[in-house]
Amino acid sequence: MDKATAQADLLVADLLAFIAADGCTDDQFNQLALRLFAHQYEFNAPFRSFCQRRGATLRNVKTWSDIPAVPIDAFKAMELRSEPASPNERVFMTSGTTGRAARGRHFHPQLDVYDLSMTRNFAKRFMQGVERMPMGILFPDEVAMPNSSLAHYLALAKSEFGTEDSRYYLTPEGLDVPGLCAALEESQRSGKPYALLGASFSLVHVMDALREQGCSFQLPAGSRILDTGGYKGQSRELPLEEFYADLARLFGVPRTHCINMYGMTELSTQFYDDGNATLPSVKSGPHWIRSRLVEPITGRDVPPGERGILVHCDLGNYNAVSTILTEDVALWADGGFLLLGRAEGAAAKGCSLAVEEFVKATAA
Amino acid sequence: MRIERVTAGYLPGLQVDEVQWHVLPFQRNGMRLEVSVPMLTGPQMHALADRVREAANRHLRTMTVADIIDVIDRAIARLLDRNDPFRQQAEALLPVVSGYDADMVRLGLTGYFKTFRAAQLRRFVAEDFANPAVLDGFQPAPKGGAVRAYGPDLLVHSWAGNVPALSLWSLVCGLLVKAPAIGKLASAEPLFAGWFARLLAEIHPPLADCLAVVWWSGAGGEEADALYAKADTVLAYGGNHTLDALRKRLPVTTRFLPHGHKLGFGLIGAAALDTLKAPALARLAAWDVMRYDQQGCYSPHVFYVERGAPVSPRAFADYLAAELANLQRRFARRDLDLEESAAVAKWQQSVEWSAGDDLLIGPADAPWSVAYSDSLQSLSPTALYRTIYVVGVDSLDDVVPVVAAQREYLQTAGIAAGPENLYRLAELLGAAGVTRIAAIGSMSMPEAGWHHDGRFNLVDLVRMTEIEQSAEWAAQPFADYAD
Repeated sequence: MDKATAQADLLVADLLAFIAADGCTDDQFNQLALRLFAHQYEFNAPFRSFCQRRGATLRNVKTWSDIPAVPIDAFKAMELRSEPASPNERVFMTSGTTGRAARGRHFHPQLDVYDLSMTRNFAKRFMQGVERMPMGILFPDEVAMPNSSLAHYLALAKSEFGTEDSRYYLTPEGLDVPGLCAALEESQRSGKPYALLGASFSLVHVMDALREQGCSFQLPAGSRILDTGGYKGQSRELPLEEFYADLARLFGVPRTHCINMYGMTELSTQFYDDGNATLPSVKSGPHWIRSRLVEPITGRDVPPGERGILVHCDLGNYNAVSTILTEDVALWADGGFLLLGRAEGAAAKGCSLAVEEFVKATAA
Repeated sequence: MRIERVTAGYLPGLQVDEVQWHVLPFQRNGMRLEVSVPMLTGPQMHALADRVREAANRHLRTMTVADIIDVIDRAIARLLDRNDPFRQQAEALLPVVSGYDADMVRLGLTGYFKTFRAAQLRRFVAEDFANPAVLDGFQPAPKGGAVRAYGPDLLVHSWAGNVPALSLWSLVCGLLVKAPAIGKLASAEPLFAGWFARLLAEIHPPLADCLAVVWWSGAGGEEADALYAKADTVLAYGGNHTLDALRKRLPVTTRFLPHGHKLGFGLIGAAALDTLKAPALARLAAWDVMRYDQQGCYSPHVFYVERGAPVSPRAFADYLAAELANLQRRFARRDLDLEESAAVAKWQQSVEWSAGDDLLIGPADAPWSVAYSDSLQSLSPTALYRTIYVVGVDSLDDVVPVVAAQREYLQTAGIAAGPENLYRLAELLGAAGVTRIAAIGSMSMPEAGWHHDGRFNLVDLVRMTEIEQSAEWAAQPFADYAD
């Protein structure tokens, strides 16, 4: 067996135990983070040269927050992996919304860690003690989108937490509105709580369709909605306030039960809020992921009360890189962080040209 | 924290309490500056436009160009006088609104104002008109008959805030062609245009009502439409997206003169790269990058450097980095907000993680950044704020097709080469779309009377009225002296 794979197997076993535990101390988190760092430093060549450029070595990286954060664009430029490619690996890819740009790739030699990370966290934050519920999924399935981490996430939700009558309502033929309405009516009639899950833009399409037909629902107490991923130019963009107000009105699900998941293809762990009664909602993750807010050029933590760019150290990311620099702006809040949107890159104030404007202009 | 409040804009005929005011706050270096900018209604904008036009008919159009040059010259002399209250205000407040280093602003203003003295303005007019007297009255035309140039009936300026006092350029152009003018302040630099209008009124009171300076939020609403509907010429600076939106709301009969996005670059020939000349040249190149933190349309984004000389392109990049580090000590880069930092970081990361051998010179957290590439790179923008690409090339000729691909964004090219090469490259670059070739070190300091974006500053503003020879002849029989 390959050395990287052998070492990874040991790591995976420990990771699974770590995730299965109910929590951890700072010290335990650090120890595992440093083990992951050493593993990736040894076997992930592009990451090692990045660390060397940043002056980060096995010797001077002493806590998880010393691990150099890899920008998410690096997932587009390089193959960030510790284990060699294998026929059984899964590759999750970013959506690559600008067309021209390459897509970011996250290699998973096996999905055990990803799956346990997802299910442990989902059970607690979304299911909240309920074992199974009928689910409606507003996203293509894994057959249609084999490289989508969200498709896999939702498939897991359905198989691990959905009742047998759960199904997809977004097919290659489009949105099955009559089918969805029938399921929602059945839930209303039976009084059995229902869960609707999907991309935020799919929910916008569903709401538009319902409004067009003049129908709305009062789902039974305990019903819930999960949205994720924003709009990505696939639907009209709704201000958050309007989005959650409409969800609550059209489905009769209180905003405390409209939960947003914040995840990324580059991660193996998700963040959730505890409903969206107040906006922006506070997001938090489980004990195997930690975040920092940094000033993006220096990489230093921003002072308390100031906005910063999110850096996540995800112990679930054992094969790629544990620590990534996002493009998301956030602010610390009680119990987590407030996600304030993407740092779009400042537009130039005049006739000089900024990169983002240029990319937009040349992509058009 | 020290708090200062100033009122911006310039509204002849309107009292302070007749309009609504909006406060734009600026905060830097322990000072909070609150700039009140005027927000007019549609009817107020209409009345203002009529007032300005009427006053210009009486007072501006009756002056000769020489008289106007004299008035501007006196205003500029005041702005160059460091004891003058207008100058002092500019030195004190422009660094606060723009965030640029105070010394950089001071030097920038002096260099810029110098290009508007009487001698330069005369040159400026002569650049566009073989006989500047056509702006004052009918002049004989070589083909026969006579010709006269008239400025716009109402000129509207829409300014950008990337370079302090940018508005002076178009304001002076408007004055030289005797146009009544209303300008829209940029939110990022809402001060200078109003000061200049006040200074002119002080120096030559009849001009007091010939100019106005207003503001609106974003693209503006009905008040902006009211003004645009009255204008026959609109001169605008800004991003292409903003300009496109503006163009769409103008009547087809309105003349639109946009100055949009541009990408500057430099070419450094092997002849300039001996051990004596290269460090000095790198210093000049660093000045072009440093001035206004690369926010000008003329600022360089890429320096293409020729291989084969004693100083290699890579070594030139090192010199450039060292000079940028030096300049940081004299003129610190302005503090970046989170979005700007994120854009710079993203650019740096794209260099660090590029598939080729590109590298970032110097520490990643320095307030400047030099990227080096040993293979020919397309001309594309950096993240600004003193981020620059140095690209090693076998021959400067190789660069021509690369820059030609960005034709619509071309304007300034800096060249360091011998005279023959200068002319040869200029021919090629001109054909590719470049409109201005400057020395390295002068890229971000255009000369007086330059053809901004390859256009005529004054000619583009005027319309010509001709008295044809036939009319001249036909008039003869009706003269008192006719036989």
